[in-house]
Amino acid sequence: MKKAFAFTFTVMIILSLILTGCAQPAAEEETIKIGLQAPLTGAYAAEGAWAKQCVEIAAQLINDKGGVLGKKIEIVVVDDASNPKDSALAAQKMVSQGLQEVIASYGSSVTAPAADLYDANKVVSVAYGATAVRLTMEKERPYFFRTAGRDDTQSEFFAKFAVETLGAKTLAVMHDNQDYGKGVAVDAMAFLQPYIDAGQVEVVYYDAVTPNESDYSAVVSQIKALNPDVWFYTAYYSEAALLLKQAREAGVTSTFIGSNAVPSPEFVKIAGESIVDGSIHLNEPMPQFLSFPESKEFLDAYQAKYNEMPGSIWSVYAADGLNALVAAIRKAGTTDPDKVAEAMRTMTDATGITGLLLFTERGDRKDIPYYAYIYNAQGILEPYK
Amino acid sequence: MEMFAEQLINGLTIGSFYALVAIGYTMVYGVMKLINFAHGDLFTLGSYLGYTILVIGAGWATATFGVWGGVIVAVIGAMIGIGFAGLLLEKVAYAPVYKAGRLPLVVSALGASIFISNAIMAIWGPRYQAYPQASIPTGSLVLFGDVRITYVRLVTILVSLGLMALMYYIIEKTTFGSAVRASALDKDTATLMGIDFKKIIRFVFFVGPSLGALAGVFAGLNYSRIIFNLGQTYGLKAFTASILGGIGNIPGAMIGGLLLGLMEALFEGYVSGAWKNVFVFVILIVILIIRPTGLISEKIAEKV
Repeated sequence: MKKAFAFTFTVMIILSLILTGCAQPAAEEETIKIGLQAPLTGAYAAEGAWAKQCVEIAAQLINDKGGVLGKKIEIVVVDDASNPKDSALAAQKMVSQGLQEVIASYGSSVTAPAADLYDANKVVSVAYGATAVRLTMEKERPYFFRTAGRDDTQSEFFAKFAVETLGAKTLAVMHDNQDYGKGVAVDAMAFLQPYIDAGQVEVVYYDAVTPNESDYSAVVSQIKALNPDVWFYTAYYSEAALLLKQAREAGVTSTFIGSNAVPSPEFVKIAGESIVDGSIHLNEPMPQFLSFPESKEFLDAYQAKYNEMPGSIWSVYAADGLNALVAAIRKAGTTDPDKVAEAMRTMTDATGITGLLLFTERGDRKDIPYYAYIYNAQGILEPYK
Repeated sequence: MEMFAEQLINGLTIGSFYALVAIGYTMVYGVMKLINFAHGDLFTLGSYLGYTILVIGAGWATATFGVWGGVIVAVIGAMIGIGFAGLLLEKVAYAPVYKAGRLPLVVSALGASIFISNAIMAIWGPRYQAYPQASIPTGSLVLFGDVRITYVRLVTILVSLGLMALMYYIIEKTTFGSAVRASALDKDTATLMGIDFKKIIRFVFFVGPSLGALAGVFAGLNYSRIIFNLGQTYGLKAFTASILGGIGNIPGAMIGGLLLGLMEALFEGYVSGAWKNVFVFVILIVILIIRPTGLISEKIAEKV
């Protein structure tokens, strides 16, 4: 009796294994799975949510037009919790699910470990909010790309803008000692050097604040005493909002310039409209000012579903990560990572929501323009004139 | 000179927060020899409770008594709410494991901390919340020259110092205070002398968290940005402050907190913001090497 039961049981297990084993490949062939690694929780949770929404809209638009290689796109979302440790786990999860193309991720420190894992496992990854120069220049990652620009593009623009457009004589450059913020600050100093050597400007403050704290009044008092013409903060919006709020309350009148991770609805929410009024921000084109044919289609679809604009350009870059991958898959005629990576590098006519999607040998995006924007008294961003 | 005065005010503000939170750590430790790791999260919970009161319930108070009326309602509401949360925490997380010894208590404290911070994330979401601009009092007082202090900041410092003085008075000068100190010194003998130890525990678990909640609401009013893990930074610094002052005694926590805040502001203002925490913790280590029991250690003979 016992034996008979054991036999039946074993047969059942074997049968079920065979059945599920057979079922899986059939299901996989119906769609092309593309991963999205995003910070759905943690410090950049807002960015993660926007990125997910944008990529889903982009996938829907592609699927409505018949998908790619005759198949529909399916997005697999994994949370990296805004930190490097969970980012590595998220990447591991993607790899173990057998994904060949992923979009990953926001934040340079968070993206770096994931990019290494994707590269080692031959998964094509496209970052959308990781702008540190070292991600592409420090070592070669043949499977890594990004739709966002690099920090030095922005720093070069800053130096020229602050000195030549605003006519600043004294400058303060402040970062947060994390990859992204420090990168922008170091590059800004490099691009300011010619002006410093010519005696045109003086950098009166160059230091970092500690992120995730609430009280920055000690630094603010220092800025107040130094009273620079321009105060450039190179890191993220939440600390920027606290710094600017405390500075204006203490009576600091310097022109505040925020880097491209500062302007966002959250920045206005934390600091308040009257505080952000008149602050200048450097950015790649803002979603609402995009004017390509693809951008209109995408933004209309996004607004129809969520009744608002995407919260940041980074989430739109995530959608363009998908557009770039799809264009490359279409060109390569396969999802094989080696061929897709090759196609990414050699594409010449791929277009996305933010314009042409062309990449250098190292995986950087070519030709991203920069702009200065200014907040008005209602907390709305306008192009700086 | 103006900058120095400003940095003193900055340090005093930062220190007030540390000191208020540190009192909670040190009271629980003094009476129960337990480090209440969940204390920083009760601080966060207090901040969120104040936020919720301001968003939904303080409208009528603001309309009737002005913007400060709303603030007072939020502060008192959060203090009472978190006081009871502290009592509940003691009942659920600590009372069942008292007899099991100190290690299970520490694990239970860590568990409670993770539970509270994740519950906050689940209820209010993982994103930053901002205290509503309309319910934050604005304006500042010009002290001299160009040195100014926002009214919120001024009230933060005055209320904190006032409450610290009150706590000092209660613990050091009243009969009930002697009972608390006696229990801290020797629980068994104190109980034999007729002191209701359960009552002392209820006292520390109500007052500590509600002071934390006060600090939490003030943090929201001063900085407006709150997030579910806000208490981690404050908790760590306040815990450090209580060790610096000598854990287990209340004046120590106050002095430790204020000193830590002043050191941070002066170092950040005059030397380097990037190296602030490194410097502060080096100082802490040096002080602990010289005085292992903290700046103000209990002046009593060791129990034999």
